[in-house]
Amino acid sequence: MLKTLPKSPKHKSPVLPDGTSIDDLINVDMREVQLRVMADKDLYDLEMEKIFSKTWVLLGHESEIPNEFDYMVREMGADQVIVTRGKGDEVNVLLNVCPHRGMRVCTAEAGNKRTHKCIYHGWAFKTNGDFLGSPVAKEQMHGDMRPKSELGLTKANVKVYGGLIFANFDADGQTFEEYLGDMKWYYDMLFCRTDNGLEALGPPQRFIINANWKAASEQAAADGYHTITLHQWLGEFGGFNEGDIEASMMGVEVTSRTGHALRCQPVANKFKKLAAGFDSMTLEEKLELLPPPGVTKEMLPQLKNHLDPEQLALLVDQPPQVGGMFPNILIAFIYAPQPDGTILGLTSLHSYTPRGPDKLEFTNWIFAEKDAPQEMKDRIRKVTTGMLGTSGMIEQDDSDTWPHMTRNAKGPMGKNVTLKYQAINSLPRPKDWPGPAEAYDGFTKDDTQWNWWLRWYDMMTAE
Amino acid sequence: MTANTKPIAANKEKRIPVGSETYNRITEALYEEAMWLDEMRLEEWGDFLAPDLIYRAPLRLSRQRDEQAASIVHTMNHYDEDYGTLMGRIARLTQTKSAWAEDPPSRTRHFVSNILVRETGKTDEYAVKSNGLLTRNRFEEDHMQVISYVRNDILRDVNGSLKLAKREIVFDMAVLGTQNLSIFL
Ligand code: FES
Ligand SMILES: [Fe+2]
Repeated sequence: MLKTLPKSPKHKSPVLPDGTSIDDLINVDMREVQLRVMADKDLYDLEMEKIFSKTWVLLGHESEIPNEFDYMVREMGADQVIVTRGKGDEVNVLLNVCPHRGMRVCTAEAGNKRTHKCIYHGWAFKTNGDFLGSPVAKEQMHGDMRPKSELGLTKANVKVYGGLIFANFDADGQTFEEYLGDMKWYYDMLFCRTDNGLEALGPPQRFIINANWKAASEQAAADGYHTITLHQWLGEFGGFNEGDIEASMMGVEVTSRTGHALRCQPVANKFKKLAAGFDSMTLEEKLELLPPPGVTKEMLPQLKNHLDPEQLALLVDQPPQVGGMFPNILIAFIYAPQPDGTILGLTSLHSYTPRGPDKLEFTNWIFAEKDAPQEMKDRIRKVTTGMLGTSGMIEQDDSDTWPHMTRNAKGPMGKNVTLKYQAINSLPRPKDWPGPAEAYDGFTKDDTQWNWWLRWYDMMTAE
Repeated sequence: MTANTKPIAANKEKRIPVGSETYNRITEALYEEAMWLDEMRLEEWGDFLAPDLIYRAPLRLSRQRDEQAASIVHTMNHYDEDYGTLMGRIARLTQTKSAWAEDPPSRTRHFVSNILVRETGKTDEYAVKSNGLLTRNRFEEDHMQVISYVRNDILRDVNGSLKLAKREIVFDMAVLGTQNLSIFL
């Protein structure tokens, strides 16, 4: 339903140099956004400040830096950071900018170092970013105007959730719990369901798309609709969903003003042949037949230790399979039953890192349950690489589409065309729906993506 | 050519000399393969693939000089294919009506050079290293996407024709400067 949302008392619509305000770019009542947002340089700069300097940003998974002193360099919005492992569970996120004269402290992408020494003049830092000292101690080349405590690397707040490393540069901003909000209940079903959790099967694929970061990111907020046309080949191919793409449009979409979204798809509907008689089975029987992707039969009892009964029931009948996390994360936990009866998954997270108003970096991690046998991990990696990411047969069509939107956003006429989110779900909330947040039943609609834009709007207009 | 004018590595690794009959056959096969790919003759390319083919493109990482072995990541790939999955890709591109990533198709040019051939210990198989340069252009782009790589192949002689039995594509970019790999290398 169309609702006019109250503006927060802290609402302040910034004005771009040409006089356009954020309120001019987004029409909250009509659910429209001007295409201009997909290429505008001034807006981009404002987003880096208002969104990426304030929100939690996904940087990787702790399994990528398993040993003490391991580090990896990652992009956090337009800034580059070093993610280091200290003792035990300690994970640090440090701006990769030397406080002396601004050189990059880490020039390699990954490695293992007890201290990080800048190659320019030699200032050295601990894995937690603290300043250790500068060469030629007796000359005190860092001066005495600032205490050593002020000469360390800039540190971000860090939260490790289900092994995923998130960071935030806004010390007074949202807590991570506030960031996930009412959607945490659903994310826990994916990231926090087994004793030892997920493992990144390696470093991420990284590649560049000449499109604005939002072209990819708003789609990640659960655009199910595009599958019918953009991924039509899946139906022509026959193997996918028994050739019935439209059936996979049905389900329940969960979302909230957090900008997060997930599509919960009934497995019995999606795998009609495989799941014959599914509805009359017990929970245990269903789990045996269609365990969550990558969860082995031996691991099934673990699910009960981590999920409450409602979460478990939903995971079995109607698991979240695709969706996103604001601002720039895509989540895919897509069931991929194999001819031999094993349930593999296309299990992946992407981040769409801004690299300028018309460029994004697609970063693609592939995951498996840490306790799964190696043979299963190898198969998950292979099927996921085949469908998602750089060469993914599904996603190669997405990544070829977004640049056209950004190109069109530069035209004097084109930039005023609006993106429309007017497919509104008007069905009542599904009866007895066990989870929190907004829940939309039936055919995939635009409500999740509209919430993504409302979150964007909230952050862009926050004081 | 006398033994002491040969490149040192060639002596060690049982190099098949440049210009020899076997070398020329292999070179011609790689040139022909490049032509099939550039002319979108994917079924013919499919015939060049051996049924036990492993076709991978590992990730690259920028690592310090003393950690160069870790610069090629074998646990994660841009391409992670076998014969069956490549046949699936060929079918998507040639038999469906909506493989949009290549419709309209990219205009590509595969340049193959620096071909070096070694014996493998199996009389019917050759280890072939070649440099690759791919130029790719789509739509009205006013620039070429350029992708460079080295390929480590195993070519197998099957009843007088050469088949690709193994290919590893090692890119020179850690962050690939292309929107996807809907093309083959
Ligand atoms: S810039 Fe790093 S030590 Fe001078
Ligand atoms: Fe898609």
